[in-house]
Amino acid sequence: MVTTFKESKRDKLFLALNYLYLTVALVLVLYPLLYIVSASISSPQYVNTGEMWLFPKGFTLDGYKLVFDNPKIWNGYMNTVIYTVLGTLLNLVVTLPAAYALSRSDFVGRNLFMGMFLVTMFFNGGLIPSYLLIKNLGLINTMGALILPVAASVWNIIVARTFFHSTIPKELQEAAHIDGSTNMNLFIRIVLPLSMPIIAVMALFYGVSHWNSYFPALIYLNDESKYPLQMVLRQILVLQEMSAETTGAAISGDIAEAMNNKAEIASLVKYAVIIVSTLPIVILYPFLQRYFVQGVMIGSVKG
Amino acid sequence: MQQKRKGFALLVSATMLVGLLAGCGSSDNNKEGGASPSVEVSKEGFPIVNEKISLTMMAPDVGLQNWNNMAVLQQMEEKTNIKMVYNNAPKDSFETKKNLVFASGEYPDVFYAAGLTPAEQMNYGEQGILVPLEDLIEKHAPNFKKVLDENPGVRKSITAPDGHIYSLPVVEFNQPWYRNPMWYNGDFLKKLGYDKLPATTEELYTFLKRVKDEDANGNGKADEIPLSSVNLRDIRTWLLGAYGIYEEEIYVDDKDVVHYTPIENGYKEYLTFLNRLWKEKLLDQETFSQTAEQKKAKAQNNQVALFSDWHAYMTLGGEQSMDDPMFAPVKSDMVDAPVIAKNRGVTTGAFSISSSNAYPEASMRWVDYLYGYEGALLFNKGPEGTLWKYTDKASLTKEYLPVPGGGDREDYRATLTPNYGIPAPTISIPETSKGLLTEFDSWVENESKTKLLDKGARIPYPTLFLTAEEQAEVTTLTSDLTTYVRQMEAKFITGAEPMANWDSYIKTVNKMGGQRMAEIYQAAYDRWKES
Amino acid sequence: MKGTGQQAVQPTLRPSGGIGKKIRQNWELYLFIAPAFLYFAIFHYGPMYGIQIAFKNFIPSKGIFGSDWVGFQHFERFFNSHYFWDLLWNTLSISFLELAIGFPLPIILALAFNEVRNGFFKKTVQTVTYAPHFISMVVMAGMIITFLSPSSGMIIRLIEMFGINAPQFLNEPAWFKTVYVLSGVWQSAGWGTIIYLAALSAVDPQLHEAAIVDGASRFKRMLHINLPTIVPTITILLILNTGNILGVGYEKILLLQNSLNMESSDVISTFVYRSGLVSAQYSFSTAVGLFNSIVNAIMLIMVNQIAKRTSETSLW
Repeated sequence: MVTTFKESKRDKLFLALNYLYLTVALVLVLYPLLYIVSASISSPQYVNTGEMWLFPKGFTLDGYKLVFDNPKIWNGYMNTVIYTVLGTLLNLVVTLPAAYALSRSDFVGRNLFMGMFLVTMFFNGGLIPSYLLIKNLGLINTMGALILPVAASVWNIIVARTFFHSTIPKELQEAAHIDGSTNMNLFIRIVLPLSMPIIAVMALFYGVSHWNSYFPALIYLNDESKYPLQMVLRQILVLQEMSAETTGAAISGDIAEAMNNKAEIASLVKYAVIIVSTLPIVILYPFLQRYFVQGVMIGSVKG
Repeated sequence: MQQKRKGFALLVSATMLVGLLAGCGSSDNNKEGGASPSVEVSKEGFPIVNEKISLTMMAPDVGLQNWNNMAVLQQMEEKTNIKMVYNNAPKDSFETKKNLVFASGEYPDVFYAAGLTPAEQMNYGEQGILVPLEDLIEKHAPNFKKVLDENPGVRKSITAPDGHIYSLPVVEFNQPWYRNPMWYNGDFLKKLGYDKLPATTEELYTFLKRVKDEDANGNGKADEIPLSSVNLRDIRTWLLGAYGIYEEEIYVDDKDVVHYTPIENGYKEYLTFLNRLWKEKLLDQETFSQTAEQKKAKAQNNQVALFSDWHAYMTLGGEQSMDDPMFAPVKSDMVDAPVIAKNRGVTTGAFSISSSNAYPEASMRWVDYLYGYEGALLFNKGPEGTLWKYTDKASLTKEYLPVPGGGDREDYRATLTPNYGIPAPTISIPETSKGLLTEFDSWVENESKTKLLDKGARIPYPTLFLTAEEQAEVTTLTSDLTTYVRQMEAKFITGAEPMANWDSYIKTVNKMGGQRMAEIYQAAYDRWKES
Repeated sequence: MKGTGQQAVQPTLRPSGGIGKKIRQNWELYLFIAPAFLYFAIFHYGPMYGIQIAFKNFIPSKGIFGSDWVGFQHFERFFNSHYFWDLLWNTLSISFLELAIGFPLPIILALAFNEVRNGFFKKTVQTVTYAPHFISMVVMAGMIITFLSPSSGMIIRLIEMFGINAPQFLNEPAWFKTVYVLSGVWQSAGWGTIIYLAALSAVDPQLHEAAIVDGASRFKRMLHINLPTIVPTITILLILNTGNILGVGYEKILLLQNSLNMESSDVISTFVYRSGLVSAQYSFSTAVGLFNSIVNAIMLIMVNQIAKRTSETSLW
């Protein structure tokens, strides 16, 4: 918001309240985040008794050590980055043109397409037919199984469509048609550059879902060297949490003891894993924020 | 409008086409193995086959080591001349993967530690996807046959209602615990001057009360939590025994009558007792909401007097200690002596052979090795000379070797053998750990013997198969029943529901099929008994 | 403002001529939608035949086509469950509570962000509020249980500092929904603002300049310029959210559920999850899923109809 005007008293009060509101929100959200960071480097016993409530107590890096000692972790990072980048590119290529087409009221049949897409939001054939499809397409144990089945999301298409619909002035299309410009030209030369905010949002939404995804990898990948980060982290966690199974049911003694040795570190690893897996994507966000700056679009249209 | 309709028709036909294409694939059985030339399978001795053969194996993987690199499996391949091609799935998604494999029509040759449920064994057996194993056992499994001959109960437990055996079990007779035992905090006992453990529910109550009132941990604060639990699951069975009940859901009494626990009178007494403990804050007030870690943290804070775990030191922290005695089951006025549940010792579904397996005889011989001393030892402790060696081979006495590279023994073991945290086909033989037991191990064994086994511990209800119809009915009944029963248990104990409402509770449970549960299991038990 | 204004006059701007001409003129738009069309046809409609297992007794090895038909048996089992009405009520009330609290908050937050000058503070608040979205459910639930633990919980201690006797949040059915929804809002409000922030970037600065000349206060401008700009987005998201009214997930609930709060915490998805644990009941869970989908779809159609009548924005 670029305002060079003098703020009135009312406005100052409003701004003050606004800052107060945001500060309260900041504190409320920040506390548990700090808790996680502290918990990841504190002795689990203090965490579980509630003695560690803000600052680390009984400092230890064992959780991180366990995560990074795993030789698969870096490979997992690399795989995740590849899947995320390629997957997101595919998502954008499928989503943006479709959303734009759907936003055009002179697009004959758009409601039909919309209906077809919407149905898939509610009805799906379930895991087994999807698995058979992937298998018959020969995608088992390939990257394709991770990115093709999630090439687009109805939800995101609708959100992007709404953005195009409510922000791209209709005059632009009219003018373009009169000039004899093609739709392709219009879309690439004019619409996309004006839609940086929604492109950024779509990239973020899709990117995050690729980053966090593990289920397709769980089902479709056999080869450990292809596992994404989340899968590797899951394996570490599952191994630590096998101790939970010892509550109640009798198992063999050796395992019970092994698990007991690990139970200590299990709760520690839980927090470390959160940090390891999300830090990169949290850091990314401030860089995307610049695309949300106001007035970029209309100004350029009128200019 | 016309336009729209055409578009729609096109869409429908397109999707149908895709659907058909996808659908056809499922019936695509790959049967390449079926036609392969027959290979000479030796009756005994090794290698099992003269020409190297290859089998696919599906198993759950804990992700510590690639199975191709496991010393035990490599040694096995060398010994048997059978190469296993591993088609593993991560342990936490194994169930899903298993179902997908059955649905996709491409089966592995053998299922290892797949935990096939009785329902799965019956379904897939009936359809011929799993092959019946009786004849193979008879002819090619001397070790396993010996187990069956020595334990007739095992044969009964692994035979499906159609008379076939579709899977080999995990046999674990040396582990007597039905649930992790309960343990007393030894320091508290000493402080309060106990030299004899409580033997009745009243004495137990008095002990717990004294823990609370007399500052058993001596820190000057009344912060003791006499009895702690996570959701009661860990302590329920032990306390029910005081009222003549063997197990929390289904048990058979000494007169061969099957009972559904939540409608028993003894169960009511159990609730009344726990309600009393709850009211006087002798039972952890966070029993229903805490995590296992939180319970442990309290114990390590020296607040807890009685709890359940594999060993006491695992909850109390510190080193293995023989000062914290095992809980000796107590009795109420209802019975002359407490009843005690013992581990079933048999878990079915550990190993199966599929119809696409071209070498069932060789496969059976391969797995049979694991039911003998040598094989069980190899898969349990790893190859000789890595983590252990013989001190006296004649008496099978061994000793541990230092862990190569230092580090955790169990972690290292998990890189040698697949039998780590999965229900693998094997048998536990006392001789495998001869010489490897510590003083602490013997102490624990003695505690189990004197407090549980010698006091008449027995299996509450045998491992057996329900028929498909029975299974379906139980599945339908339990989803509502268990929810209601667990919910009401918590309410009765915390007092949210007064014990006066017991009769209406019974009415509801029976309306939901509580009595029916007992009938179903009674019928199955009678069949098992006669077989 | 601009956007919505234009939609209103849009019909008169449509190029005249028949449908055929429009199709010819915009043939490229079909090319635009082709990848999405193919994707949905292959990856969503392709496996759709799997729905039939809701009416069958599915056994993996018999295949979807080979399993026996059982009609509405699975639906009947679900409707006849002792807990059916409780499950429905819990699911609906949690959904409505989420809508009532969780839906407006990101909008307010986004509008508030928008009033702050770009700089360190804005970036920090935005990033911090966005971060909880990435906390896994296991850790999230673990923190809730820890913070609410009667013996050591942070929140309990805080409440008791004021001399109030804190309730046992996780043991009392009356508190469960509040705990569930508020922690959910905490986790997702910041993430939810993203979409509105993008929509807000379309506000025309000239409108603000004109309004300032007219002497409109900041608050008034927020209400009359910024808010209307994002109304189409708000409407669409509201429609989409009501189309997920029975979609309360099981993961977090299962982790927070215990025998004492069960009566208010058990929802359809947790029920299905539990039933599935006993044995893989594909058919039963598909049937319940189908029931959910149909209710959800009806809700979405209804809300969309209302939106269509009362505003200029709707899904179709």
